Amino acid sequence: MLNQMNVRGLLFDPYNNAYIVILRDEEHSDMLPIWVGKSEASAISFALEKIAPPRPMTHDLMKIMLDNMDAKVISTVISDLKDNTYFAKIHLLYGDSEFTIDSRPSDAIAVALRTEAPIFASGEVLHKQNSEELERWLENLKPEDFGKSDT
Amino acid sequence: MAETNTLIPLKVHGVLVDPNTDTQIVVLRDEENSEVLPIWVGTAEGTSIRLALENVIPPRPMSHDLIYSFTSYLGFSVNKIVITEVKNNTYFSTIFLEKDGLEKSVDSRPSDAIAIAVRCECPIFVTPEVLERRGGEDLETWLSKLDQKGSQQPET
Repeated sequence: MLNQMNVRGLLFDPYNNAYIVILRDEEHSDMLPIWVGKSEASAISFALEKIAPPRPMTHDLMKIMLDNMDAKVISTVISDLKDNTYFAKIHLLYGDSEFTIDSRPSDAIAVALRTEAPIFASGEVLHKQNSEELERWLENLKPEDFGKSDT
Repeated sequence: MAETNTLIPLKVHGVLVDPNTDTQIVVLRDEENSEVLPIWVGTAEGTSIRLALENVIPPRPMSHDLIYSFTSYLGFSVNKIVITEVKNNTYFSTIFLEKDGLEKSVDSRPSDAIAIAVRCECPIFVTPEVLERRGGEDLETWLSKLDQKGSQQPET
């Protein structure tokens, strides 16, 4: 079963010097936090804030290349969680065929936001992830930790 | 853009890490080692180029591995990349994709183009105009200030 997720925001995790993308299943109020690196976070933040950089960033290039190849992103799926690592798939339509590409969730989300493709999470991933961990983490946050990514 | 026969082929000589700033320098050289083209890139792009040069396969695909992966899945090949222009210290480049004899050219930053080229093992070219206008003296000054340690320790 797949649940459609919205990107609700991006938090900075000062303890791990990383960023957390918050995905939310609006229907069931399930949250899925995904820790990502700085450059992937900035790629996601640019798309969320609709900032067009003077030169194409890596994920803008991905979209431009896919457009040039006449390939369309149908959907992205956060498909699995193993040893604290999330796995994602990007589903492409090219000609009459569908292609599935293995990807990190950060790249999949950055591409989905640029191509307006839906983001799904498998029910399995939502069950496996421990949302208590995020809640504990959120309780320790100070207001100044919330903000835009520092790109 | 210049015709292919005037383009100069370059190889990635290495990636240097600037320990003082959040940048890395990709050093391109021609085959005779007579021309050097340094290009300043971000940490993520520099790291991505270095991983590919060192044949390191990360546990999960990095962004440029993903680009390489969908490009080859869809049956496209990257014929070459060309560093075409430098304007206000910003370098411009073009990625040439091909499938079934049909060529497409895509505008990109040189850092992304080089990260893709080292994965596809396609040639890297530069126009003579870019070589004439490059900031080679800047690199010499920068290198002279750099201690040995800084040039070897990757930041990430």
